Amino acid sequence: MKFGSFAAVALLLCSTVVSAEEWGTLKGRFKFGGAAPQAAALKADKDAEVCGKHKLVSEELVVGADGGVANVVVFVRDKDVKVHPDMAALKNVKAVMDNKDCRFEPHVVFVQTGQPFVIKNSDTVGHNSNVQTIKNPAENKIIPANGEATATFKLDEAIPAAITCNIHPWMKAWVVVRDNPYAAVSKPDGSFEIKNLPAGELEFQFWHEKAGYLGEATVGGKAEKMARGRKKLKIAAGENDLGEIVLDGKMFQK
Amino acid sequence: MTKAMSKHTSTQPVSVRPVLSLHVAASLGLLVTVLAVGCGPTPAASFRTNMVMAAKQRLTTDQERQVATIVEAMFGTPDEPVALPETGLDEAKLLLAAGPVRSDIVGRKNGLYREHCVHCHGITGDGLGPTAAFLNPYPRDYRPGVFKFKSTERADKPTHADLKRILHNGIVGTSMPSFALLGDAQVDALVEYVKYLSMRGETEIKLMQAYFELDDDAQGKLPETREFLVDEVLAGVAEKWKSAADAAIPVPEMPADIDLAASIAKGKELFHGDKANCVKCHGVTALGDGQANDYDDWNKAIVDFGREIAGSREQAAKTSTAEMSPDELAEHKATLAWLEKSRQVLDGDSLRPRTIPPRNLRQAVYRGGRRPLDLYYRIHAGIHGAPMPAAKGTIPPEEIWHIVNYIRSLPYEFDGELGADRSMVASGR
Repeated sequence: MKFGSFAAVALLLCSTVVSAEEWGTLKGRFKFGGAAPQAAALKADKDAEVCGKHKLVSEELVVGADGGVANVVVFVRDKDVKVHPDMAALKNVKAVMDNKDCRFEPHVVFVQTGQPFVIKNSDTVGHNSNVQTIKNPAENKIIPANGEATATFKLDEAIPAAITCNIHPWMKAWVVVRDNPYAAVSKPDGSFEIKNLPAGELEFQFWHEKAGYLGEATVGGKAEKMARGRKKLKIAAGENDLGEIVLDGKMFQK
Repeated sequence: MTKAMSKHTSTQPVSVRPVLSLHVAASLGLLVTVLAVGCGPTPAASFRTNMVMAAKQRLTTDQERQVATIVEAMFGTPDEPVALPETGLDEAKLLLAAGPVRSDIVGRKNGLYREHCVHCHGITGDGLGPTAAFLNPYPRDYRPGVFKFKSTERADKPTHADLKRILHNGIVGTSMPSFALLGDAQVDALVEYVKYLSMRGETEIKLMQAYFELDDDAQGKLPETREFLVDEVLAGVAEKWKSAADAAIPVPEMPADIDLAASIAKGKELFHGDKANCVKCHGVTALGDGQANDYDDWNKAIVDFGREIAGSREQAAKTSTAEMSPDELAEHKATLAWLEKSRQVLDGDSLRPRTIPPRNLRQAVYRGGRRPLDLYYRIHAGIHGAPMPAAKGTIPPEEIWHIVNYIRSLPYEFDGELGADRSMVASGR
C-alpha cells in the first residue's frame, strides 16, 4: 500500500512536469457592440502654442474604423503562475511611456514588478508624471523636455494605475503592474495576444478605462457574465483563439 | 419639559402642522431617551465610516459593517482608543489626547484632540469637522495617510518630529494655528493621536480595497484571521510609520563659501528653464500665476468619482427597463440604488472640490516652513498629494540649492524687476 501511494505521487509529479512543459497562446479581438460614440475633443489650453496644434481627442475609449476596441487590458489573476523560460527575460526590457504631442504614448502600458519603467518626454515642453498607484509608493516626477525618469514597482497592482500630468491636466494614461509577464493591451484593431501561457486552467481579468472591469462579453456568439471582469479559461497547448469578443456599448457609457 | 416643547413650537410656523407634530414627537422621544440614560455625560462618540471609499468600492451594507467591526476591534473608539503592539503607538499618549475634555488631576487635562483639533479635523480625522467647509485650504484628512510638509521622501510618512514642528509652528498662510503654548508633552500626545487616526483611516481604506481582490469562494467577506488583518494589513500600514525616520531626504549642505549672487542667478535660470520648469505653474512673475489650475490628488479623486456617478446616472435614466429579465432588472435597480447612495455620500461626506493654486513665491509665506532646508525638501520631493512634482533624480542637489536661493530672493526683488527678462542685481539687497 505504501509503495502504491509512492507510485501515485511519482505519477503525479510526472504529470505536472509534463503539463508544465506545455504552453499555449491566448488571443482574441475586442469589438464594440453598437454604434461607437465620437471621441470628444480635448481643450489643450496649457502651452497652447505647442499642445494646441495637435487636435487632441479623448482617448478614454478608442474604437477603430472596423469596431475594434483598443486599450482593453487582459491579465492573469493567478498568483505564482509558472513562467515560460523565454518570458523570464522580459523583466529586464525597459517598458516605455512617452510624453509626445502633449499626450501619453502608449495610452496603456504593461509593466512587471521590478521591470524598469521609463517615462520619457519627446516634447519641447516640460511635463510631470503623477502615478496614482495603490500599493506602490506615490510618484510624481518632473520630466523635462527631451528628458526621462525611471521608476520600478515592487508590488503588483489589482487595478491599473492612472498616470496624469498636472501641468497639462487633460493628459491621462494607465500603467498595469503585474508580477508575471502574462498581460496584454488590445491594439487599435482590438486584437490581443498573450504568448507562452502555462497549459491548464487560469483565471483572467478584463479591464477597460471607461467600462472598468468588464462585467459581460459575448464570446463566439455566446453572452457571458464575468463577475468583476474575471473569467477562468482552460489554456490548451498551442493556440487558444477566443475569436470575436463583443463588448456591449452600454458598458462604456458613463 | 413643557418649557422645551413650548420653545420648539413657538419657533415653528403654524402652517406646517404635520411636520410640527412630528417634531414634537421627536423631541418627546429624545427627552424620554435622555431621561432613561440620565443626566450623565454626552453619548459615546463614534468614528465615522469612510463612506466615499465604501461607495467607490461599491461595498454592500454587510461589507461596510464588517469593515466597521474590524476597525473598531483594532483601534477602539474615540473615547477608548486601542493601540495594538503592531502599531508601535504609545497608548498612554493616546489616552491623554482621546476622549472628552476632562481633568482628573489638578493641572492635567485629557481629551486634547477634542479640545483643540476636532472642530476642523473632525472626530475621525477626516478633515470634515464643522468648520471645515469654511476654510481654505480645507483641513487635512488624515485617513489616506498623506502628509505634505515633512523631511522624508514624497511617498513616505512624516517623522514624529515633522508633525511636532507643524503643531509648534502652525502652517503659515492657512487656518492651522500654532499650539506651541500647549507644552511638549501635550503636543507629543496630539501627534501620537494624529498618527493613530491616520493609521486607523489607512487600515479602513486598505480593508475596503481588499474586497476587490477576494477570490470568488470568499463570498464577498474578508477573512477575519490574525494573519490577514494584523500581520498583513495593519502591520503593512504601521511599517511605513515606523520606518519614516529612515526615509529622511539626504541634504548635502549648502557650501559655506557659496557666491550667493551667482547662485541666485543660476537658480533664476533653472526656475525659468525647461529642466526644472518651475515657471510653468509659479509663473514668469513667480506670483503663482502660471498656467496651472489642477486639483490635488484628493480633490481630483472626488471630481473623477463625481463625474463617473453623474455620467452613470444620466445613462441609467435613459435606460429602458421594459425588456429586462428579472435578473437584469434586479441588477439595474441595485445599480440605481448605488448611484443614488454615492451621490448622497458625495454631497454629505466630501467638501466641494477646489483647484489648488501654485504658491505665490513673492510673499515669503511658505506653508511647509521658511528655512532654506524646508524649501530644499519641497523641491527635492515635491509635495505629496499636490501637483508639485519631485526634482529628485532630475535636478542635482547643488542646483536645488540654487533654486532655493533664488526663491528666497524673490520677495525682496524690486517691483520693477518682476518678470523673467529682467536681470537681478544681487547687491544692494
